[in-house]
Amino acid sequence: MSDVILKVSHLKKYFRTGAGLLHAVDDVSFSVPGGSTIGVVGESGCGKSTLGRTVLRLNEPTDGSVLFEGQELIGASKKTLAKIRPQMQMIFQDPYASLNGRMTVQQLIAEPLIVNRVCRNRREIDQKVSEIMEVVGLSERLTYAYPHELDGGRRQRIGVARALVLDPKFIVCDEPVSALDVSIQAQILNLLMDLQEERNLTYMFITHDLSVVRHISSRIMVMYLGKCVEEADADRLFENPAHPYTQALLAAIPIPSVSSQHVHRTLLQGEVTSPVNPAPGCRFAQRCKYACEACRKEDIPLKEIEPGHFCACVREG
Amino acid sequence: MDKKNKRRKHSQLKEFWRRFRKNRTAILGLVILAVIVCIAVFADLIVPYARCIEQVGADRLQPPNPSHWFGTDELGRDLFSRVVHGARYSLFVGVVTSLIALAIGAVLGASAAYFGGMVDNVIMRIIDVFMCVPPILLSLAVVSALGTSLRNLIIAITISCIPGNTRLIRSVVLTVAEQDYVEAARSYGTTNRRIIFRYVLPNAMGPIIVNTTMMISDMILSAAGLSFIGMGIQPPAPEWGALLSNAQTYIFTAPYLLFFPGIFIILTSLSFNLVGDGLTDALDPKLKD
Amino acid sequence: MNNELLQVKNLSVQYKTDLETVYAVNDVSFSICEGETLGLVGETGAGKTTTALGIMGLLPKRTAHITGGSISYKGRELTELSKKELLGVRGKQISMIFQDPMTALNPVLTVGDQIGETLRLHNTENLSGEAIEKKVDEMLEMVGIPPERKKEYPYQFSGGMRQRVVIAIALICDPSLLIADEPTTALDVTIQAQILSMICDLQRKYGTAVIMITHDMGVVAETCDKVAIMYAGQIVEYGELKDIFTGDDHHPYTIGLFGSIPSLTKKYRRLTPIEGLMPDPTTLPAGCCFAERCSHCQEICRREKPQPVVSGSHMIRCHAADAHLAAASDFFEKDLSRG
Repeated sequence: MSDVILKVSHLKKYFRTGAGLLHAVDDVSFSVPGGSTIGVVGESGCGKSTLGRTVLRLNEPTDGSVLFEGQELIGASKKTLAKIRPQMQMIFQDPYASLNGRMTVQQLIAEPLIVNRVCRNRREIDQKVSEIMEVVGLSERLTYAYPHELDGGRRQRIGVARALVLDPKFIVCDEPVSALDVSIQAQILNLLMDLQEERNLTYMFITHDLSVVRHISSRIMVMYLGKCVEEADADRLFENPAHPYTQALLAAIPIPSVSSQHVHRTLLQGEVTSPVNPAPGCRFAQRCKYACEACRKEDIPLKEIEPGHFCACVREG
Repeated sequence: MDKKNKRRKHSQLKEFWRRFRKNRTAILGLVILAVIVCIAVFADLIVPYARCIEQVGADRLQPPNPSHWFGTDELGRDLFSRVVHGARYSLFVGVVTSLIALAIGAVLGASAAYFGGMVDNVIMRIIDVFMCVPPILLSLAVVSALGTSLRNLIIAITISCIPGNTRLIRSVVLTVAEQDYVEAARSYGTTNRRIIFRYVLPNAMGPIIVNTTMMISDMILSAAGLSFIGMGIQPPAPEWGALLSNAQTYIFTAPYLLFFPGIFIILTSLSFNLVGDGLTDALDPKLKD
Repeated sequence: MNNELLQVKNLSVQYKTDLETVYAVNDVSFSICEGETLGLVGETGAGKTTTALGIMGLLPKRTAHITGGSISYKGRELTELSKKELLGVRGKQISMIFQDPMTALNPVLTVGDQIGETLRLHNTENLSGEAIEKKVDEMLEMVGIPPERKKEYPYQFSGGMRQRVVIAIALICDPSLLIADEPTTALDVTIQAQILSMICDLQRKYGTAVIMITHDMGVVAETCDKVAIMYAGQIVEYGELKDIFTGDDHHPYTIGLFGSIPSLTKKYRRLTPIEGLMPDPTTLPAGCCFAERCSHCQEICRREKPQPVVSGSHMIRCHAADAHLAAASDFFEKDLSRG
């Protein structure tokens, strides 16, 4: 594969809350080779969305570094950021809330061009917009429609078009299909994968849906309470999950086939604990059936248990 | 292409009108309002201003009759012409004070919401202090400090309604600024200024317009109230509140002096409220049909 | 199986406003026996929730009209019951779980009070206050919440815990039919697994029949005995679990639905989704509702509405299915194709 386009090291994002420090992202490191997709999975509140936003510097990280094509983003000046921003875009979860309802499809897609002063004149903008609309499969008659007149799938296509119009290299997709029906979801997933192939895009794909993440990702990172607990190639992770949380997560997916009925699975007990002022040790220890003394003593670092497969568990390595 | 764009905009307006029109009471309000505005605008054509101040000794306290439709007051002035010209004062005071309060409230509220932190704290604590004083007392204090005149009346009631307005606008802007599309705009590098004018304000407009309409009716009532207790517009200017105040002496002997200005105050205030309600419904896309 | 509990026959529901008529449910028939689980599958706007609300008698009075068909529960016709009679059925014999546990609970009442509420309303056995409290404790224990927590308010519970509370409320009167409208959609996958297995355990224990409304084929496969696939207000395929998940004869929509789900075991380069969108429910096409998106669409599909084709327990509403499926048995023909 090609060179590393994004390298994140020891990224931390803490939020101050009334109860204490909320560790949304806690010391996460990973790197993404150009043209590939890294999937980030985890349950609600595990910090996956915050991770995506912090990588794009939509919020200020507490600590750590984000290198995009060798350029440090953290602490970069407004000017440098303005130069890099067009290269890194984002697709949002809710295709309705993320579109300004007072703008037409044309205006929505043109907005990034206007803001970044990419085009010289109106005609160039119009042309670029209609090009990109064709690419994402929006028919021309929708040019002057408003988002509320469209269905979820079309709205999400606008979101994709808006992210693409600046010709970025890297796109953070924050649950781009979770709000859509299955058949529409499949259309959007296909679109994203086709675009990746045509334009050599790099994705960071954030989702809670394990089958979607397996489908689209080359590498997968599993997060639990702000920590990355396991990272491996997609197939490896699904065939040979090492961390007890990953195992539980995979076991919990309902499988659409008859053979799955009434097979008693080992269910994960309990619920996610609070990310506010977490106690040292493995964040998962409270729900883990293998938890022992060592798990609660100190944070467990990621270890390479086989080439390219990292896991943060005392039982491994 | 631009033509098509215009047609779109047009159809959005049409859509809004279609929904507004369905609300019968709002249309009633709009009709009453239109009539009153016409009266105010064409007051000089309906009846010359001279008639308001012309005192005819012989015609004192006449009940309504063909030559004085609404009767005459204790100085023999024609009440009809006074009410007609009074519309000018009342509408003027209502609209001007509301617009000033809106402008000041928008600047204060929007900056408090958008910048947050210290700015928010300082503005809102000052507003809180003002909120503790009943608005009518606040206006009274201002008028007694500055003296009575049209200008001071406007200042007084504007000040009394800035706090509420600021709060409202702050909360509206806060909700809008939290929306995903604002974050999306930030993600492709939109400047703060563009975000405020292209994203936040247009989306915050609905509740603000509605509130302003309702505020006008409140302002007309406050102005009338202040004039009623003698702290507002001074005679011989025919402000409706002042007319009422004047009439209270004759409440038993010449009740029509109370009745006609009272009716007009109520109708104006009511019509603004009805229109405001209609706007709320028509502007809310969630209440579709 | 055993006794038929609920039978819905040719049910049609329309929403009428000044401007338009939404054909939400069109000629839907299914039945459910005691202790069975029926999966009602479909995408947004397919009419699943409207069907459920119709059974509950909870359709919005002003706009919704049942324009035809019958809903009979234990032999009683639900569409003809008076408001008062309906109260005796709703909550006590048929109860419902809603999708969003965050908004389904009243934030100012304690959890214990809310669970006891239904029982107090339907107190036919004249239970004393103490007996009700005891029953509340039992229910809480059953759904896996320590009874000590009944004095707490909804905001002190997480999403999964709240859904457990909602289930306790629905089950306290020991209903014979439970309608679960996307009960786990708002929950994380590990919590979803807990809740689903709990519903199944309770169902086995009490013999409750369940209508499971969902869009997730995985959930259907794990919990249901019978499946009805809905599209544009119609059941396009209906049968036992094995009929839907195995075999070669399916409605093209079902095939598309399966083609849209990314596989967990095999890796395909592309999904094979259904192109296009569901038809506008205000103007349904004259022929088959799926014709626009169907790859096997023929002349007849655009012209005529397909009649159900039945083989054994398996029903498909498709013109193309004629050729494949054996002629229907008399009983089902009469039962399903009327109207």
